[in-house]
Amino acid sequence: MGQALAVVLDRELLALSRAMGELRRRNLAITSLAVGPADVPGCLRLTVILDTDDATAEMTMKKMHKVSGVRAATRFPAEEGVARELALVKVRVTPERYAEFLDVCDTFKATVVDEAPDQAIVQLAGPGALVLAFVRALEGFGILELTRTGTVALPRTAAAERAAAPAS
Amino acid sequence: MSVGELLSGAEILCRVLLEAGVDTIWGYPGGAIMPFYHALPEHPGLRHVLVRHEQAAAHAADGYARASGRLGVCVATSGPGATNLVTGLATAHMDSSPVLAITGQVPRHMMGRDAFQETDVLGLTLPITKHSCLIRDAAELADRLREAIAIATEGRPGPVLVDVPKDVQNQRAEYRPAPPGPRGPRGARGDGAPARGPAAGAVPGDLAGRVRAAAELIAAARRPLLMVGHGVIVARAYDEVRQLAEKTGMPVITTLLGISAFPECHPLHLGMPGMHGEVHVNRAIQHADLIVGIGLRFDDRVTGNPKGFAPRARIIHVDIDASEIGKNVPVAVALVGDARTLTAALAAAVAPRDCAAWRAEIRGWERRRGARYRGDLSPEAIVAAIERAGGERCTIVTDVGQHQMWVAKLYRYRRPNTHITSGGLGTMGFAVPAAMGVKLARPHDDVWAISGDGGFQMNMQEIATMVQEGIPVKLAVFNNGYLGMVRQWQEFFHERRYSATPIWSPDYVKLAAAYGIPGWRVRCADELDEVVARAGAASGPVLVEFLIEQEANVFPMIPPGATLSEAIEAEPAAAAGD
Repeated sequence: MGQALAVVLDRELLALSRAMGELRRRNLAITSLAVGPADVPGCLRLTVILDTDDATAEMTMKKMHKVSGVRAATRFPAEEGVARELALVKVRVTPERYAEFLDVCDTFKATVVDEAPDQAIVQLAGPGALVLAFVRALEGFGILELTRTGTVALPRTAAAERAAAPAS
Repeated sequence: MSVGELLSGAEILCRVLLEAGVDTIWGYPGGAIMPFYHALPEHPGLRHVLVRHEQAAAHAADGYARASGRLGVCVATSGPGATNLVTGLATAHMDSSPVLAITGQVPRHMMGRDAFQETDVLGLTLPITKHSCLIRDAAELADRLREAIAIATEGRPGPVLVDVPKDVQNQRAEYRPAPPGPRGPRGARGDGAPARGPAAGAVPGDLAGRVRAAAELIAAARRPLLMVGHGVIVARAYDEVRQLAEKTGMPVITTLLGISAFPECHPLHLGMPGMHGEVHVNRAIQHADLIVGIGLRFDDRVTGNPKGFAPRARIIHVDIDASEIGKNVPVAVALVGDARTLTAALAAAVAPRDCAAWRAEIRGWERRRGARYRGDLSPEAIVAAIERAGGERCTIVTDVGQHQMWVAKLYRYRRPNTHITSGGLGTMGFAVPAAMGVKLARPHDDVWAISGDGGFQMNMQEIATMVQEGIPVKLAVFNNGYLGMVRQWQEFFHERRYSATPIWSPDYVKLAAAYGIPGWRVRCADELDEVVARAGAASGPVLVEFLIEQEANVFPMIPPGATLSEAIEAEPAAAAGD
């Protein structure tokens, strides 16, 4: 699944630009990006899923430490953490297929959060693969619009302890 | 708690610069920076040098910073003024030089409207500055500027940029002198120092234990080498490096930017490694079983193909920037921190030893330098003449290209930090403006700016600055009528197709006359000493042109992508036919 890089940085676009610049200039394969408020006041938490090897992820983390405005950077193999994303899907649902639609939502434990004549918005949170499977299942109905947050992740306790051990 | 003075943003800029000990500013006025220039005459402690192009302001600030070890400051207006700083900032960034750039910006209400002379200079310079910020209000100016200055000078130094909209320069705000003690809550980040909090995982833990481990590796090694780089100069770790070398007998290699960090006449000094390093120096690296690297980043010009670099050696790497560890070469022991402190600790921890057998082995690989240059005005002769004229109090600033390598290899540096050049970015046009900065930082030194005919023509307009401001730099031009280093690559690797490398020059003696300074042309060795001595004795700026062999090459040379074991040591066979 890749390497998760979690970066806590000042809540300003300049700091975010600098952090993104570190990723861009290294020409890294980025699977997912998510940005939201961090637990530190006045800070953002950036979660990057990188499709790369251990050494490159380590170097990227060290470079992130140098970025002006970055407060902390950690990394862990994404499969060793808890990784989730949220999807909102606006689907065409005719009255004839409504029961079938609810069945699909039920199977994925998705929630219908908005309804209008012939369409609905449904929400699903889960691992990326689950979100992807859900989106595939809805394609038969007709997806009108789709948004995904990108993956956010936290290391499990065991992985966090390993990450905190001295490097090299 | 005293009430602060009510000052304009422009006045606050000047006050904070004075607070930080700034005495010299390199700049060029223009629309968006006019309030700053209006305030400047009221602050006579700030000497402003009007350059002829903003790029020169950035290089001069860089040269000043490198020579003084203190902040260098350049100022430009918005738009074209700011964009002209870019090459200088990138140069300072690559060579870790503490430069502050202050740029004017269009007024806040006009930003983002493609206003006259508006450019997103923060966006332009993001990847080539250590830190940058836009001042949104005069009330935050002093603290933001202090923070930027701290970031530029602390940890691994680097350039910072502060963008100040014109209306913020005019806006009045309360100014209070800097409080003593630590800076504001934001702290200086971005210096490569270990991060706090959850990121502590990246910090090498038991530093003392690592120093012991390093000392044990040194004790056990049969062929240890000391490689020192620019970090030793930045940290002023000269004595500590010398102690470590003398206590262990390890031969010392100085990288291009590490030159003069260790005395060249010292019996332990080997020379410069890498692409144009002498064969025995590179061979020592390839045979070493231990390399102690201090304040260098194992750049590709040093390592050649990193896969074949020092195949037998384990590496101890001392650097202030944790992200340099393991970046280019695998490291056995990492010591992250100040080079001076750590080298002192290492020198104290090592057991005394001698590496006489190993040094004798390396000496056996030394080649006698043959007569490599046709004609009698050889680079060796010119460098030797400048060395004789300069004496003890001399700082050499070089540009980029063949002359840079000749000077690096041939000049025997005795005093620390007397060799200043653009290493990482390899910026042609650096020497002339940077030398102005060096001269103002070291008024009692003879400062020679040595360039090729290509690089000299990139910034020769700065002679006017030297004349107007009375900055007596000695300008040397190695004229071979070619962009020599590119021509050399074309000769070796592009079938001698000299595409776009022949370069015409003006009459430099007349050019000097046009600027009202003495100028001489040296055509043969007979004239050399007399002219160089006259140039050395002159009290104002002077220009000396040396007509050197057109197709002289820098030997040896490691072809790009090859390992340090694969040097070209003489003219390629293809060139022998004519």
